Amino acid sequence: MLAYLDHHATTPCDPAVVAAMAPWWGEQFANPASRLYRPALEAAAAIEAAAAELHQGLAAPSGAQVVFTSGATEANNLALKGLAEAALSSGNPRRRLVSVVSEHHAVLDVLRYLERHGFALTLLPIDAQGLLNPADLQAALDPGAGGPVLAVSVMAANNEIGTIAPLAQLAPLVHAAGALLHVDGAQAVGHIPLAMEAWGIDLLSLSGHKLYGPKGIGALLVAPGVQVAPQLQGGGQQGGLRPGTLPVPLIVGLAAALKQALADREGRALRLAALRDQLWTGLQALGGLTLNGPPPGPQRLPHNLSVTAGGVDGTRLHQLLRRQIAVSSGSACSQGSASHVLAALGRTRAEAAATVRFGLGRSTTAQQVEQALRAMADALDQASNRSAASRPER
Amino acid sequence: MVAEAPLYLDACATTPLAQVAHEAMEAARQLAWANPSSLHGFGLSAAESLERSRHSLASSLGTGAEAIRFCSGATESVHLALLGAAATLPVGRLLISAVEHPAVNAAAAQLQRQGWQVEPIPVGPTGLLDLGVLESLLHPPTRLVSVIAAQSEVGSIQPLTTIAQLCRQAGVLLHTDAVQLAPHRPIAMDELGLDLVSLSAHKLGGPRGVGALLVRPGLRLEPLLGGGGQERGQRAGTEPVVLAAGFAAALAAARRHQLDGTSQRLEASRDHLLHDLLALPGVRLSGPDPTRQPRLPHHISLLLSDGQGRPLDGRKLVRALWNEGVAVSSGSACSGGSGRAEPSPVLLAMGWDRSQAASGLRLSLGSWLEASQLERVPLALERAMASCGAAAP
Ligand SMILES: Cc1ncc(COP(=O)(O)O)c(C=O)c1O
Ligand SMILES: Cc1ncc(COP(=O)(O)O)c(C=O)c1O
Repeated sequence: MLAYLDHHATTPCDPAVVAAMAPWWGEQFANPASRLYRPALEAAAAIEAAAAELHQGLAAPSGAQVVFTSGATEANNLALKGLAEAALSSGNPRRRLVSVVSEHHAVLDVLRYLERHGFALTLLPIDAQGLLNPADLQAALDPGAGGPVLAVSVMAANNEIGTIAPLAQLAPLVHAAGALLHVDGAQAVGHIPLAMEAWGIDLLSLSGHKLYGPKGIGALLVAPGVQVAPQLQGGGQQGGLRPGTLPVPLIVGLAAALKQALADREGRALRLAALRDQLWTGLQALGGLTLNGPPPGPQRLPHNLSVTAGGVDGTRLHQLLRRQIAVSSGSACSQGSASHVLAALGRTRAEAAATVRFGLGRSTTAQQVEQALRAMADALDQASNRSAASRPER
Repeated sequence: MVAEAPLYLDACATTPLAQVAHEAMEAARQLAWANPSSLHGFGLSAAESLERSRHSLASSLGTGAEAIRFCSGATESVHLALLGAAATLPVGRLLISAVEHPAVNAAAAQLQRQGWQVEPIPVGPTGLLDLGVLESLLHPPTRLVSVIAAQSEVGSIQPLTTIAQLCRQAGVLLHTDAVQLAPHRPIAMDELGLDLVSLSAHKLGGPRGVGALLVRPGLRLEPLLGGGGQERGQRAGTEPVVLAAGFAAALAAARRHQLDGTSQRLEASRDHLLHDLLALPGVRLSGPDPTRQPRLPHHISLLLSDGQGRPLDGRKLVRALWNEGVAVSSGSACSGGSGRAEPSPVLLAMGWDRSQAASGLRLSLGSWLEASQLERVPLALERAMASCGAAAP
């Protein structure tokens, strides 16, 4: 049995989540927009309950709006294009956007789009651990750097190298400059603590399938008073901010997934951090591997590890690994091109190809970690043509 | 509340998930749960399932798999079609029918703000496009046409073949919102020469949260969503593999129903029910007469008035009918808030006056209904009308 160690790409939908959705795929199917008869009202109530679950689970400020989307990609697009458009139409003069080079494509692509449409974009560099320097952010937020900043977008946790951003420390800088903070929480929600209000997050994106929920659903949480222009219109659902018939089963599933992920988050994080540390210790013993991102510890997702095998043919390495474990060579969505995150850390194309990302999850066992270590040892042996004799002692 | 189980006669708003769709989703959930962009075995299984769904949908729609872009539903699909195509064209004129779904009207309004000229093409009393007007406007600066293939409120089916021919001859791109047509009629995309077609799974027995835009191969489209480059770079975001499997299975079943007599039985039930309803005082048909003109085979739309011929309030009737155990709609599920009925823009466009246009009722049937279950509907409507008529000021 292949061990699935790619939980950043996606997580299997949890059986409890499947069970929570089941009745909504069956009998209770009415369209919640038809508010004129009772099944529709029940569906509307289920959506309200789900929104309340998200609101509470993410410690959102009172009055925050929960907007259901098709996933984090749409949530990021809605957040950033929505802010930009609202600023343009309300006469808000802020025309600069600030983010970080290691963001997901679903943020970077949108920012580049807005750059083509008249917004100035500053992408901050990251250090060897994948962290941005707050001083760089401070400097970028200075209106002297090209005008007042509308929004700053920083991911809560990186999908490749697991770096956790010090959001609570960054938010005051952003707000002091009168800007808004958008956070792509796709890899963080349900995995590490996150408190929207206390940390000063104005807009928060998440995706169901990254937290053991279904694919095809996500959400954007919007703090009260933050103006976001809708990107789709017609039908008027969700206060006009995101129309379209609401996928009640998926919404119920997203809320159930979040509830469950928050309930077992601490225990899971401890367990997976221990397994991850076991993996890292074993990998270090193999020799020749460099860690990408922060050392295992509070600045790194507990279930993430990313290593580069120097001087090894990455294509061959991954071909060999694929027979025994399911891991990723980078971000699942950027197949083909070298990872921009690894490039920002100074890795060459060849090094990026010879990078292995591990994402541990709810189903990961110590045996699977052993399996992964054996697979890595074999694959490294064969891919680098090192003889067993010349390999360092394990 | 009545003792009998309520009857769901609102297929145009959403359909219950078909059993085959449920089964396909269950199978995909077990075997194809991974990210289809992942290169390992789990990812390949997911990609294989997704491609199988794509092929199945394409063959149901008379096109190739490379035409399908999965997305979240028809609202997104029509925005991607209109905004995405317009972004690759010089600013020009967009023609839409006067009876589009609000999502198309909204996307058109957005183009208008970008400098496009938007011209609604009038419809006749049965909701059919005035082809003469369409043809007379099919010249520069017209670059894009969007027509609702089958109207959700009044069931009219547009002559898509002719419209497509006219557009092709004029070199103008044609988008059609086929959300309501796809469950009931084959759509031969390539044969008709359609450029862009929007679909939604939950209107044809599939799950909510997934739809598709069909894009004629080679047609350029600016994506709405930036991100990971999925769906040929035209629609980013991890594809909902499980939902896509349900979508494909549901459409395939709908196609089978058109061949195995199920659709014909449904149409016969509709005809029977329509006949009985039209025999009630104060009830008349809106939209095409199915004995003479093309009409969605499961669709009934009525205009209702009291004993003095005064139009009743459609929304009140919906509530009153629910109290009789029958779920229907006053038109588009998505229009407006609560309170008194607003006149339906679709009925207004067809020439009804404001109070008549607020007296509409839609009953849309589905294969989950037995013909015998419909027998109580005429009496239920009669009682609902009586209660509304009495309450009218
Ligand atoms: C950090 C981050 N943001 C956004 C996304 C996009 O999520 P989705 O594909 O569910 O829209 C992903 C997943 O690929 C991600 O890891
Ligand atoms: C004709 C038509 N187009 C578009 C839509 C919007 O579909 P969805 O709710 O899947 O976005 C609907 C459904 O309300 C419809 O009937």
